[in-house]
Amino acid sequence: MSSTAAVNLHNPAVFQAGIPHEVFAEMRATPGLTWSPEHDGTRGFWSVTRYDDLVTVSRDMSTYSSGVGHIQIYDIDEDALEARASMIDMDPPVHTRLRRIISSAFTPRHVKKYKGAIQARVGACLDELEAAGGGNWVDVVAKPIPIGVICDLMGVPEQDHNYLIGLTDHLVAGTGAEPLEPTAYGNTTELRLLPFNSPAAWAMSQYATELADVRRAAPEDDLITKLIEAEIDGERLATEEFANFFRLMIFAGNETTRSSMAHLALYLEQFPDAFAAAQLDRSLIPALTDEVIRYSSAILYFRRTVTAPTELSGTALDVGDKVVMWYCSANFDEAYFPDPYAFRADRPTAPPHAAFGGGGAHFCLGASLARLEIAELISDVLNRDLSFASIGQPEFVESNFVNGIEHLEVTL
Amino acid sequence: MADETSDGVELVGVQVNEDTCIGAGQCEMLEEDTFYVDDDTVIAGVIGTGMLPRDRAQKVVDTCPSRAITIVEPAAEEEQ
Repeated sequence: MSSTAAVNLHNPAVFQAGIPHEVFAEMRATPGLTWSPEHDGTRGFWSVTRYDDLVTVSRDMSTYSSGVGHIQIYDIDEDALEARASMIDMDPPVHTRLRRIISSAFTPRHVKKYKGAIQARVGACLDELEAAGGGNWVDVVAKPIPIGVICDLMGVPEQDHNYLIGLTDHLVAGTGAEPLEPTAYGNTTELRLLPFNSPAAWAMSQYATELADVRRAAPEDDLITKLIEAEIDGERLATEEFANFFRLMIFAGNETTRSSMAHLALYLEQFPDAFAAAQLDRSLIPALTDEVIRYSSAILYFRRTVTAPTELSGTALDVGDKVVMWYCSANFDEAYFPDPYAFRADRPTAPPHAAFGGGGAHFCLGASLARLEIAELISDVLNRDLSFASIGQPEFVESNFVNGIEHLEVTL
Repeated sequence: MADETSDGVELVGVQVNEDTCIGAGQCEMLEEDTFYVDDDTVIAGVIGTGMLPRDRAQKVVDTCPSRAITIVEPAAEEEQ
């Protein structure tokens, strides 16, 4: 493999115009894993691009660890790893105990209870867009819906939603080229100790800690209360553990669905046939929803670190090797998704796409919630027969970690 | 455990491995009359008759992120 783009996947600029599909197609066609050499003093890494290999890595959590090393490509010190650790940075059985505190709120049966509230949020956003004759689809539709829904579940008051949107925007920007000032939000912590090396992570921890104090005094039926009251082996979560959990939930529940919803507007314009098919046959909406999720691949990758010598697809791996699972490649693996770049309302949903992960303990906790939010947005768009008179060029978030869109101007 | 509906569709049994189930609820999403994720344990169990048409059972098996669901083959059932 000699493609310059392939070896430069650590560089957000490679993703500046969206997923570089031709680069990943070439990597998938090349036997073994692709090696990206050391850069900026950081150890090189192996790229996993095929669906089969990604599933293997995802499910073999003892060989491919989330708890050893960072889950992003860049390396961080041990104390920094510890300072930011949430369940996503852990392996079973600790991961399992933490996940179970809240996982019952995200089962399909529970998620259905949020349907009315989600419909109301979707309706209000589309009303606003229609009243204005258009606008930035990201700001008016894609951002407010998911943050509103996850904040409702967590128990974050409505008036603070925009503050949290702002913070997560900075966290994502932190994976790109231009970080915030180190002292932003009054931060005093060394940046290397903060998730995404961003002062916004510090601000979110502060916010979480204050809200936890409010709930300790007056418990509510929400996930914040569940988290502060939960006991693991007889002990409650420490302040930092709670704050890290909160940050994970807000980031994961917000940024990901937002990206898929942002791309949804592009797909409406690019693939009208798929939406026309669902307009005629509403039973296609679940499959169309998963197609939006597959095609947008909101999280581009997660990394694992090898804990024992092994071999994958003929490539020998050693202890400490970094293995990067490119979901945005596995989701277009020709072997599993025939005609992968076709956007279809009737694509079979089994085997499932890898946008919620390749299985194993870290399978996306919010999968059912994300599906419901996106399905409700599609339904309402179809109900209104929404179409765009014009749509601008998308401005992508400069990141090799999330497939975000910053700005997408539409007129109705 | 093979069975047939009145219109001749082959029905098979399904089971959940409680040790590997992570409670993602993908089975409950696909077949809510057959799978139920318990609120306390957050582990899936089989409810109702536990029987599904083979193609639908296979879809649940293929979708489960922790491969915790298996089809109970008629031959295996007879041996027990």
